Amino acid sequence: MFIYRKFILFISIIVVFITIEFAYADINTSYEIFRETQTPDRDRRLAIDLFQSKYFFSSLAFSKNYIAEINKIDPLFEIYIEKLILKTGTMSFSYMQEKTLKKHLYSPSIALAYGFRLSQKKKWQQALRTLTVIPNHHRFSAEARMMEGAANTMINKDLEAEKSYMNCIKIAKELEEISSVKKQGRYYSILKDTCAIHLARIEYKNANYDKSMELYNLIPKVSYQWPFMLIEKAWTAYQLEDFNRSLGIIVTYKSPLLSSYFFPETEVLKSLSYFKLCLYRDSLKTIEQYYKVYKTRSEALKALLIDHKHSNTYFLKMMFAPIHVVEKLNPYIRNLMTQIRKKIKFSIDLVAYKRVQNELKNLQKLHSGKLSDILQDELKETLRIRTTHLNHFIKKKMFDFINDIHRFSYEMFNIKIEILAKKRDLVWKNKMLIADRSRGSHKNISRKAQEHFYDFKGEFWADELGDYSFGLKSNCELIRVKTQASIESNEVSK
Amino acid sequence: MKNIIIIFVILISPNNVLCRDKKKKTNLIYKYKSYEKFDLGNLEIKGKVIAPGDLSVKDRARRTFSRDLFDRSDFNKEVIQEIKNLR
Repeated sequence: MFIYRKFILFISIIVVFITIEFAYADINTSYEIFRETQTPDRDRRLAIDLFQSKYFFSSLAFSKNYIAEINKIDPLFEIYIEKLILKTGTMSFSYMQEKTLKKHLYSPSIALAYGFRLSQKKKWQQALRTLTVIPNHHRFSAEARMMEGAANTMINKDLEAEKSYMNCIKIAKELEEISSVKKQGRYYSILKDTCAIHLARIEYKNANYDKSMELYNLIPKVSYQWPFMLIEKAWTAYQLEDFNRSLGIIVTYKSPLLSSYFFPETEVLKSLSYFKLCLYRDSLKTIEQYYKVYKTRSEALKALLIDHKHSNTYFLKMMFAPIHVVEKLNPYIRNLMTQIRKKIKFSIDLVAYKRVQNELKNLQKLHSGKLSDILQDELKETLRIRTTHLNHFIKKKMFDFINDIHRFSYEMFNIKIEILAKKRDLVWKNKMLIADRSRGSHKNISRKAQEHFYDFKGEFWADELGDYSFGLKSNCELIRVKTQASIESNEVSK
Repeated sequence: MKNIIIIFVILISPNNVLCRDKKKKTNLIYKYKSYEKFDLGNLEIKGKVIAPGDLSVKDRARRTFSRDLFDRSDFNKEVIQEIKNLR
């Protein structure tokens, strides 16, 4: 049985290897076309031929040439551009010359690429005008509606933004259902959940916290976006003054399943929630823990990474290194790497990066010639750009984390000062808090009709994640301090 | 008329020749007592001595300092970030 399984595995590996090796067809026709005089028509035919031979990044070079030279993209070539965007990413076209992009804004694919570029530059009005070209039945309409929603949010047109996000959810759901490729289905599922989260964010911004909480609750727990969204849900509970719920949601990050998701902001929210419940000792303890553990570790991480801040490859290499090697460097690195791997941007860019690598390897195997040399140079440059791009993405995530720890330590300091001021005020007023530390009770939990209650016994159950609530009583009630003199006067009056 | 004005200006000028003679530097020497003893016990105070009564402090409104604690008014930063996550 064991030998049979091994045999099957061996055959599978061979089949996969053969499939990969022969995925690329020969490009003899391309060589012939290349010998012709350079015209837009030649570039068009070259782009199509290379695409059909599965040399997508090579095809990209001639496609861009062709688009720059002509005045109108024909419907057939529009389909190729669509497919090229799917295979190589929006980024491939969005950084073309602006005048070329502007010339072809009637094309939905080019409009998406330019809209993406304008959104990155925060030119929201222009982005909105560009993205309207993409109709709802188009392949890229889900992305377009999401970007439209974001642009409308930024210029405070919330009603329009809601409409865009609703469309985005509807389209992404339909595309998810008809996707035959698993990864593609997952992409649309993430897109759908992102638009749903955006709807909750609009309500939050407009201080409709009840509505916002309802929308956050609609995000399924299996969603890739769910762990990242929990902190926003905790903030919503905080704004609703349900500090026990806010603390409960934050504690979800302590579950083994979510141990990689460490966000410094959660510690600030935790400290703030305790502060609002007048549990100053707990709040101060959270601050102390933050300074002792997180800040020290982040400083160690900074010392480790700062030497490589100008490197264009170090961080990408780190992602490819075995996990047992990397986690020895710093306790946060593994967590950060897990978070980065879950980002859709990273997965898509990594696939494109590997595609360029494979394509280059295959080109190098082909017989040499002027076309091969040109394509190899082109792909080497593409690979360099993609490596720098991916490396920058990882580097930014890591340094953002370090900066966040530093930024939030200032916020923690503010809370600490505020607690000291509150304590001083109590002394001036000759008053004290009703208890030193509140104990939990079921009475202090606010829950809705459809919510059930179970005691937490140190175990994190998957179906309960995100639904926790503390049962702490607010300690904000004040009582007069009993001095020796007041006790004596009470006794005398008795 | 011109002559009168010039003479007048010369006269009222603080550095005129007439004043300069008066400003001769004189060496003033200040002498302090090298030692002086005060017997505080024997000091007598003229007037009525009133015994202190109840201590009273005028109440005034205390200024309360409050710092702006961290708050999240929106998630716009995350909204922009999500655009970068598109393929």
